[in-house]
Amino acid sequence: MAGGIDVVLQVLIWGLYAGCIYILLAIGLNLIFGVMKVVNFAHGELLMLGAYITFTFYALSGFNPYVLLAASVPTLILAGIIIERLCFRPILGTGKLNEIFISIGLIYIIQNAAALIWTDEWRIIHSPYEKITISIFGVNMPLDYLIIIITTILILIVLYLFLRKTRLGKAMRATSQNRKGAMLMGINVERMDMLSFGIGAGLAGAAGTLWVVSGQVFNPYMGSIPAIKAFAIVIIGGLGSIPGAIIGGLIYGIAENFAIFTLGGAWKDAVSFIILILVLIIRPTGIFGESAE
Amino acid sequence: MIDMNKTLGIESKKTRLYGIIFLLIMAIILPLIFGLNLYILTLLILMVIFIIYASSWNFLTYTGQGSLGHAAFFGLGGYISAMVASASGISPYLTMLVGGGAAALVGLFIGVICVRLKEWFLAMVTFGFAIIIQTLMVSQFATVTGGWDGIAAPRLISSTVPNYLLVEYYSIVLIAALIILFFWLILRSRVGLAFAAIRENEMEARAAGIDPVRYRLFAFVVSAYFSGIAGALEIHHMGYITPEIFSVDISFWPIIYSISGGLGTLAGPIVGTIVITVLWDGLQSLGITYARFIIIGLLLVLIIIFLPKGLISLPDRVRKYFEGRQKTS
Repeated sequence: MAGGIDVVLQVLIWGLYAGCIYILLAIGLNLIFGVMKVVNFAHGELLMLGAYITFTFYALSGFNPYVLLAASVPTLILAGIIIERLCFRPILGTGKLNEIFISIGLIYIIQNAAALIWTDEWRIIHSPYEKITISIFGVNMPLDYLIIIITTILILIVLYLFLRKTRLGKAMRATSQNRKGAMLMGINVERMDMLSFGIGAGLAGAAGTLWVVSGQVFNPYMGSIPAIKAFAIVIIGGLGSIPGAIIGGLIYGIAENFAIFTLGGAWKDAVSFIILILVLIIRPTGIFGESAE
Repeated sequence: MIDMNKTLGIESKKTRLYGIIFLLIMAIILPLIFGLNLYILTLLILMVIFIIYASSWNFLTYTGQGSLGHAAFFGLGGYISAMVASASGISPYLTMLVGGGAAALVGLFIGVICVRLKEWFLAMVTFGFAIIIQTLMVSQFATVTGGWDGIAAPRLISSTVPNYLLVEYYSIVLIAALIILFFWLILRSRVGLAFAAIRENEMEARAAGIDPVRYRLFAFVVSAYFSGIAGALEIHHMGYITPEIFSVDISFWPIIYSISGGLGTLAGPIVGTIVITVLWDGLQSLGITYARFIIIGLLLVLIIIFLPKGLISLPDRVRKYFEGRQKTS
């Protein structure tokens, strides 16, 4: 059945593209968790901010929206550092529930501040390559999807090199492996907290830009659903594991698109939780997660 | 040694007694003071319903658990009670028990998955369940639930009864008082001690022969049951129900109320609900819309950082501050 294979390929490519945005979010969450042992439930709001910053710069400058990664990522890194300093550092070590609750406060603040600034209308911008499709393996695919997939791969390579080759990256990994040990070795772990939160937020900002250029609509409340999916991916991949986040993101993006294809669009959001819950029943620490934290 | 007064959150017995009497008197006379103003009465009804809801949510925190998806239980209680009441014609005061039962059943199912999970996973899974249930309601069960349009629910008390809102209000106050009394009785019993032991140190609790999984599950089911009742009360008060009831906001409100009042105390959710509701509606009457969410969010962040025991610890903090100053001067 040739038609069947075409459809499968088509769904695979959609899944790959959807997976890219989730991977960027999930890796950010994992970086923050690895270093600080904090789960930032307001991560989706950072994605939303990234989307709006791209939107604003696009409206002001008319640059190619892909170039605006250079605006959204640094802005979000700064935002991440501020959030870490003001909100998470004071409560570090006071209990895991507190971290979750403070994220809820942040969600309210960020969402509604965005609604005040940009109003709560649904927005969309159009990529200059919107109408171009290319054909890979006999399947038509928008050029934007391909650019998004390549951009994500590039970002991941840069991140990999940073974590593996630079002193700062090594210090970050050391902190995430053993905080006390890192401290004894003279690493300023609080600076690592700031850095990991900043990078995590920056990745969410990049995801926001990619979200916008792919022609998806956005409003100030759009962040929660992608964030929840990123959590599902983090759980599939194991809390704190970056390779796990990449594999989890791909599995997730593809599974989601197959579910939409077979069950219908209403299931788009619920399917993430079904996957999440199934994984948790089978393996409470995630597929690639370490058995103990 | 666990101080039982800690479960109430108020240190001295006298303040506690006065506090309870004051609250009850206020609850009884407030609607009379405002001359049966319909707006105020509706506000008070919703406030008392949310006191039940926040107290039920807070019941979980006694075992060190948390949930980001209590809207699942709130909404299920509402839907099941509405459907049973409109199909059978039985008074909503009775069908809400069925609604609560349905919520508790789902709570048992979620609880079985959740009680073994660590805090973050627990939060994510509970968050997820609210969305799964909402999806089921608008897709698979749309024929019985009316999809996004929702369904009508019979009123608690028919509007032909004179002063029906006032009767409704007093009945809900009575239900709230009974539920909180029930929580108090549980918490002062051996079960409450086991909860505290699990919360403070799970390993030691295990060593003392307490099975944390069983007690956590119990807390989860009780919390789901009374959240379901609160949901049923709300929708029978409103007269209709839509899947909006499963929204994230509904899941977050009891958290905001409980934290701002004081987690893990009986008085906390009550004080928190009253203060935040008054603040919320006060800001609305000033014409502030989006900004009030920001204000509530800021308040939440500030309370978590600077007042981790919530607003009920504020008088103590102020007293200690002044005592400290007197000593130094």
